[in-house]
Amino acid sequence: MTEAIKTDNLGKQFGDVTAVDDLSLRVRRGEIYAFLGLNGAGKTTTIRMLLGMIKPTVGEAQVLGTKIRLGRKNPWRAVGYLVETANAYPELTVRENLEAVRRLRPGTSPQAVERVITQLGLASYADRRAGTLSTGNAQRLGLAKALMHQPELLILDEPVSGLDPAGIVEIRELLLDLVRKQGVTIFMSSHILGEVARLADRIGIIHQGRLIQELDVAELERNRRQWLVVQARNREAAHGVLVDNGYSAELAAQNRIKIAGRQAIERPDEVATRLVKAGHAPTMLAVEQEDLEQYFLRLIGLENREKNEPNRARHLG
Amino acid sequence: MPLLTFLGFLLVPFIGGFFMIVLKDPDLARSLGLISTKAQIMAGTADWPTFLGLLAQAAAVGGLILFGFIGSWVFGREYSDRTVKDLLALPTPRFSLVLAKFTVVVAWSALLTGVIYLIGLGVGAAVGLPATSADVFWQGTRTVIITTGLTILLVTPVAFFASAGRGYLPPMGFAILTVILAQIVAAAGWGEYFPWSVPALNAGMAGPAYAQLGVFSYLIVVLTSLLGTIATFGWWTFADQV
Repeated sequence: MTEAIKTDNLGKQFGDVTAVDDLSLRVRRGEIYAFLGLNGAGKTTTIRMLLGMIKPTVGEAQVLGTKIRLGRKNPWRAVGYLVETANAYPELTVRENLEAVRRLRPGTSPQAVERVITQLGLASYADRRAGTLSTGNAQRLGLAKALMHQPELLILDEPVSGLDPAGIVEIRELLLDLVRKQGVTIFMSSHILGEVARLADRIGIIHQGRLIQELDVAELERNRRQWLVVQARNREAAHGVLVDNGYSAELAAQNRIKIAGRQAIERPDEVATRLVKAGHAPTMLAVEQEDLEQYFLRLIGLENREKNEPNRARHLG
Repeated sequence: MPLLTFLGFLLVPFIGGFFMIVLKDPDLARSLGLISTKAQIMAGTADWPTFLGLLAQAAAVGGLILFGFIGSWVFGREYSDRTVKDLLALPTPRFSLVLAKFTVVVAWSALLTGVIYLIGLGVGAAVGLPATSADVFWQGTRTVIITTGLTILLVTPVAFFASAGRGYLPPMGFAILTVILAQIVAAAGWGEYFPWSVPALNAGMAGPAYAQLGVFSYLIVVLTSLLGTIATFGWWTFADQV
């Protein structure tokens, strides 16, 4: 069995609303699979179906080789999870909350509580009531509950939500360490694109309930658009020179010229030479790559909305 | 919550004891005016059967609310605190979790009534109620036990409303509604057919003549409880937990 998670034509309908539609996923063992989508795209509904909390309207899901059915007790011994915001019994301390979870997972050693407290940096909050924790520490407690029994598979819904930048780096390192050293599989949802790029081996992009693209990080790199950005003292004249020389150049924001096409990206020195010869030497020349956010918006067809927002704002202003 | 329910129920034996003092001392009763009149209506005479009857009636009416609150809290808090999701994908079956919750509700309600009953005996002795036979004590105790049992049985629909209503408020509203309906239906003379009226009738709230209920009355309480139990287990096992 090489797949930790497998779904076939999974779908969920809430009345007239299609939350998830025809979702077929394969998450291989030992990889970090990021499930990327806007709020309301169907990420949490998918996670709840994977965890047997919601019954699919159509299709089926398998987790660690077990077909998921509502209310069954398998395969949860080997699965740790965090769904939506991390919640805990507010009047119990961090340690008591973890102890309660430990008892609900038979076979977890009593030492596991102290281990995860240390692992998640919760030692100084261990005797504090969970209701008084900051959002970031509540998230750490949620992750501690997911990790306590040393699961084979982690299903994490927005795992770094609420954490400060240092906390994000710390949790990222922790998750990478779990994958590298213990061979844990991680299925995580996120809408933080930068975080996904740093962490994931493969990415599934979900939009309006449908999986619109599934790709690994190398493919993502290949798919992201590149262009050469040029600045010159006389932008319009420089633009004319480039167009006359057969480049696909366009005027862009911030007094820049964007040139698409491999010819410009692979030989920026030629571009510079032509501009210098025409008397419009570039003051800046750089190859830029579409960031994940732009890629994502292009993919889901919202690129133009993003582009038009500043203009619209200007008009309204 | 345990302390609050204990303190709430603790009022019962002391209020009962106060009425006994009032009834025992006519001068004090006269000096208290309206309150002594109420005490007369509620309690009758200052003796052990009356006092134990008061405790049983408190278990019937107070229990519907208090045990309902306990059930609301034990089941509803998981939804209000949003901790329910942490209970749904565990190697511990959901059946065991629901069973554990019902066990806590039953044990907590029974223990609370037991402690209040024992305190009641102390209060009864302290206010100097006239000595009576062991048989009277046994009859009074039996009524308290059966009434408490019937009231506890009626917590299961509350547990269902807490689960399906995803919080404390719907089940608490339901518990209060059942108390009101129980009074109205009993006053209309149909109490023996309405499960939530049965505990109070069994406790003798409508008088000794109405306390002799048929098997059917007890059976509908058991059936209501069974329905609430099945619905709660079913909800936790099969309903979408969104």
